Amino acid sequence: MADYETKKTLDYKGLKCPMPIVKISQELPKVGIGDIVEVLTTDPGSLSDFPAWAKTTGNQVVETRQEPGLIKIYVKRLK
Amino acid sequence: MEGILSPAESAALKELFEKKLNGVMRMYLDTCARCGICVESCHVYASMPEVKYTAVGRAEVVRKIFRRYFRMQGRFAPWLGEVLEFDEATLNAVYDAAFSCTGCRRCMVHCPFGIDTQQVMAIAKALLIGADREPKVLSMLADMSIAKGEGIEETRADYAQALKNLEGEVKAIWPVPEGTSAIPYEAKEADVLYVALAGSHSIVSAAAIMNAAGEKWTLSSFEAVNFATFVGDSGKAKRVAQRIIDEATRLGVKEVAVVECGTAFRYLRHMIGPQKFRVVAFVELIDRYIREDRIRLDKSRLPESVTYHDPCQIARNSGIMEEPRRILRAISDRFVELRPNREENWCCGGGGGLVAMGELDFRMKSSRVKADQLKASGAQIVTTACENCHSQLSDLNEHYGLGMRVEFLSHLVAKALVLPGERFRR
Amino acid sequence: MAATITGGAAKVATDAVAAATGTGNAAGVSAVSGASQVAHTGLALVMDGIEYFITVPMVYLSVAFLLVAIAAKLVRSFRAGPPPFQLALYPVPRHPLIASLRDTFGMPQILKIEPLFWFFLVMYHVGFLLLILGHLDILSGINLVPPESRHMLGAGAVGVMVTLPTFYFLGRRFRDANRVISTPGDYLLLLLLLFLFLFGDLMSWGNSWTASGFVMTKADFARYFDGLASFSFADPRTVLHGAHYHFVVIHVLLANLLFITLPFTKVVHAFFSLPLNLVRRQPWKES
Ligand code: SF4
Ligand code: SF4
Repeated sequence: MADYETKKTLDYKGLKCPMPIVKISQELPKVGIGDIVEVLTTDPGSLSDFPAWAKTTGNQVVETRQEPGLIKIYVKRLK
Repeated sequence: MEGILSPAESAALKELFEKKLNGVMRMYLDTCARCGICVESCHVYASMPEVKYTAVGRAEVVRKIFRRYFRMQGRFAPWLGEVLEFDEATLNAVYDAAFSCTGCRRCMVHCPFGIDTQQVMAIAKALLIGADREPKVLSMLADMSIAKGEGIEETRADYAQALKNLEGEVKAIWPVPEGTSAIPYEAKEADVLYVALAGSHSIVSAAAIMNAAGEKWTLSSFEAVNFATFVGDSGKAKRVAQRIIDEATRLGVKEVAVVECGTAFRYLRHMIGPQKFRVVAFVELIDRYIREDRIRLDKSRLPESVTYHDPCQIARNSGIMEEPRRILRAISDRFVELRPNREENWCCGGGGGLVAMGELDFRMKSSRVKADQLKASGAQIVTTACENCHSQLSDLNEHYGLGMRVEFLSHLVAKALVLPGERFRR
Repeated sequence: MAATITGGAAKVATDAVAAATGTGNAAGVSAVSGASQVAHTGLALVMDGIEYFITVPMVYLSVAFLLVAIAAKLVRSFRAGPPPFQLALYPVPRHPLIASLRDTFGMPQILKIEPLFWFFLVMYHVGFLLLILGHLDILSGINLVPPESRHMLGAGAVGVMVTLPTFYFLGRRFRDANRVISTPGDYLLLLLLLFLFLFGDLMSWGNSWTASGFVMTKADFARYFDGLASFSFADPRTVLHGAHYHFVVIHVLLANLLFITLPFTKVVHAFFSLPLNLVRRQPWKES
């Protein structure tokens, strides 16, 4: 587990479809290229959605961590 | 002239238009008598009376292009039908028409010829894609779904882990025997493939209900919703749905049960052609469990008065109308109908991709009739069976200060589940 | 020869018929249509030619065009293939075909939403069918109304059944949202129909409701129609006498124009209503 600084934490817990993806696509451009944001969510689907979204938009999911009741996704802005 | 597209661009758009001209579409375009009967049918017009927000007003934008490029009068007497050329202003009008329409098809109920404005808007949407003017958020979501299908093997383990972490919440509602999974995933010999959404709220209650009914089920890797249908990209829509078709076929299930999501259900039920499995809405499954006495429900847990919002794509466009009412009567003594209801119910105003697109201001203004209708019911809770409707109804509830509670039908059912040996009121 | 039914007017008319068929006396003809006896020259001759063209060759041409164009349109629409998926609405009626017929001919949606409009629509469409019947009845082979009658079918009432609603439809187009959705073509079509009907009314009302009648009787028109039906290419002028003749020509001209433009207008709803209602009522077979 690499250590990195996250620019921002975005709380997407309990949002309805498709808000987590809509929101990250609006929020990520607000940080600098190369910056990493932390997304908190409870959606199991996010674990496939975020990487797929990152692939189509040219960004990167650097890591996911999970525990019961919480999923953390670290997204790096590449573009 | 300014704003006119180049001949090549126009020709390309004309070709896209032509691809949509099946026999029924041709009749839709030729038949409209401009009788105006559909004017009041549209919730957008009923809430903000501008003619561009009527079914016929929207469809006329497409018809005026049709007359220009596919009808003799376009050449000889363009003024007769006020034809439109492909240019900046036309494409703006096309956008306004298509993306202020939720595709609810309430107007089709009232048109004496049964003209399907959602279909006519499919032409508008195809043109917008061709002109690279479609709402980008919708195509982004569609692309995400397709990429998810391609990369599923890379993320499968993480997803499976997340489901394991979620099992506790399911067991809290309905315990399962030691050693069995509360959220079966990739289960061979399952009869039912349950296709949920990304959120845990779309999984937990449904899982508990199916476990309670003793169903042999398994959870899909994919989200049911199909954003490509909103954006009007039939090619992408097929690819998004194909992920689920392939999964269901691989697992050999008898039924695919679709989460409370209108678009997903209508697409999978009516638009993918014959398959080896049946497609059912999750509310149909609940209704079946109740009728077969596979689950028991306690009425005393829902003391509030409750009403039901028929999601357009599930009710008038797919035929699921009595099931949710039977379910509600099984969990409540205080079920009241919205008026109008069933096939004549007002659209919530969030369909057609509007919720995903944001558009909060337009969604609230264009759904005033819906808010009025909810208020008039006097109910304390409004239930529905569609994620999109739920989001929109929640926004309306807040915006108009309705003071109601918005609930998924499945959540209320899960709360009413009676454990073996528990006392309950039928 | 037909018996004298209603005194003078009928007598005159009968005489005219007799004259035209060559069995009566020449005086009868000149009494009714003296004007036509003057030899035509110059402009009048050109007018005669135009009127002949309108009342005979153009009728054939426009009816033929109507049939071919409608057939082409139907073939094109039905051959363009089905939609990519089924488009039915729910709930599905127990008998989709019957429901579609009901939608098509009963227009229950309009009855519910705008009863007055529905009333005029029904009046109009029933009137239109009777109108077609009334015109067929003019042929001497069909006699719903006795051939010697001064009246045509409905004695003018059928004309009212279509004219009155047309006024209503036209007025309705200027109201509220309908005004915005209406195109110039919609107004023109209604105006064309309106004038067509009014000229028709002039003939049928004239025959039925005025003391002297319209001068030309059902039997006169029968000769014109029989001529058309037998492709005799005879000039109707020889059987339809009097100064009123020009009104007949205008009526025929408007009818021709309607026939020619009809395939390009929304009047095709007459053919597409039932198929489209079936699309709405009858889902495809589920797998
Ligand atoms: S009700 Fe049907 S025919 Fe009448 S204006 Fe609306 S779409 Fe056209
Ligand atoms: S489909 Fe719904 S939103 Fe679209 S025009 Fe018809 S009534 Fe209005």
